[in-house]
Amino acid sequence: MRATYLWILQLITGALIAILLGIHLALMHLDDTLGAGGEATGWTAMINRAGDGLFAALYIALLAVGLYHGINGLRGIVLETSPSPRTERIINWTSLVLGIIVFAGAAYVPVALLVS
Amino acid sequence: MTEESRKQVTFKVQRYDPEKDIKPYFQEFKVPSSRGTTILDGLLHIKETTDSSLTFRASCRMAICGSCGMLINDYPHLACHSQIEEFKTDTITLKPMPNLPIIKDLVCDMTPFFAKHRTVKPYIIRSDAEEMANPSTTYAQKPAELSDYLQFTYCIKCGICVSSCPTSASDSHFLGPQAMAQCYRYCADSRDDGQEERLPTVSGDHGAWNCHLAGACSEACPKGLDPALAIQLLKRRLTARALGIGREQEPSSLAPPPTGIKDKVPFPEFTVKG
Repeated sequence: MRATYLWILQLITGALIAILLGIHLALMHLDDTLGAGGEATGWTAMINRAGDGLFAALYIALLAVGLYHGINGLRGIVLETSPSPRTERIINWTSLVLGIIVFAGAAYVPVALLVS
Repeated sequence: MTEESRKQVTFKVQRYDPEKDIKPYFQEFKVPSSRGTTILDGLLHIKETTDSSLTFRASCRMAICGSCGMLINDYPHLACHSQIEEFKTDTITLKPMPNLPIIKDLVCDMTPFFAKHRTVKPYIIRSDAEEMANPSTTYAQKPAELSDYLQFTYCIKCGICVSSCPTSASDSHFLGPQAMAQCYRYCADSRDDGQEERLPTVSGDHGAWNCHLAGACSEACPKGLDPALAIQLLKRRLTARALGIGREQEPSSLAPPPTGIKDKVPFPEFTVKG
């Protein structure tokens, strides 16, 4: 059932990406239309947002679901090359470790800004 | 038959004898064709008149046995179910079905195909072993319950769905549309109680979740089945089982013995006596 849980998560993260990325794109490109002053893409506005707990959580969530969806999808593609059981285990562990490293590195900036 | 209605077409057949040939090659044959001539008729003509060493599988000639699946003009078909005329060309290219090992010429090794079919336990599984071994009556099933899986019972195990599947082409461990459609066929059968035994087989990394929903299997199936739908319905069952949602379905009970049956009408005596 492990594959079933992983693929259910794949479906859930796909839906979450549509929502979170939608918020991100609306914020970046419709800020003027939405009456936010048209400065959303500016450096100061970006740093201010990153320091806001709600936005930091939104971006960290987008990072997490995007990473999971991407890496699990890539893992699925690689597993289609009919690897041996040993290679499959290596692919699974590499995907997990790669995901954790990238998440830790990319989440550092909003977390550091939030703490400071 | 007039000359106009009986034309010659060229069959470009892939030949390969692993005992003699290093790799497959093509050989051309001239085949007479008229309205209604099937690819299988053409192949039988070649075997009878030109080259008796040409090897292919065929049996029923009416799309029931599933023996004569092959790649005709680069698309999988049953040779007996495909008329030469419908290809609208004077050259027909014939190759063995892809995604299966070649034994000789147009004959594929169906062993991996049937091995995968067996893994899904394609038979009714129930806990009442005594009734299964020595049936006293039939299991009850309503017409609506039958319609849940009826189309999947028409599978003739020709292997055309597997040969057209892009995932089977890249992943030799992939269970394939035929086996998974049969898994769904038995899981959806109201008389069956074997879902818990079957679902672990299709829930792995090379099972239902690996289906890309290309739909090539459903498009190619000569019997009009929709294996891609069966795989999606299997995903629904897998999700419901993993999340513990949906209602548990008890296998159907035994049907009461038939009552009020009239005696058989006696066979009439022959009026003409010898």
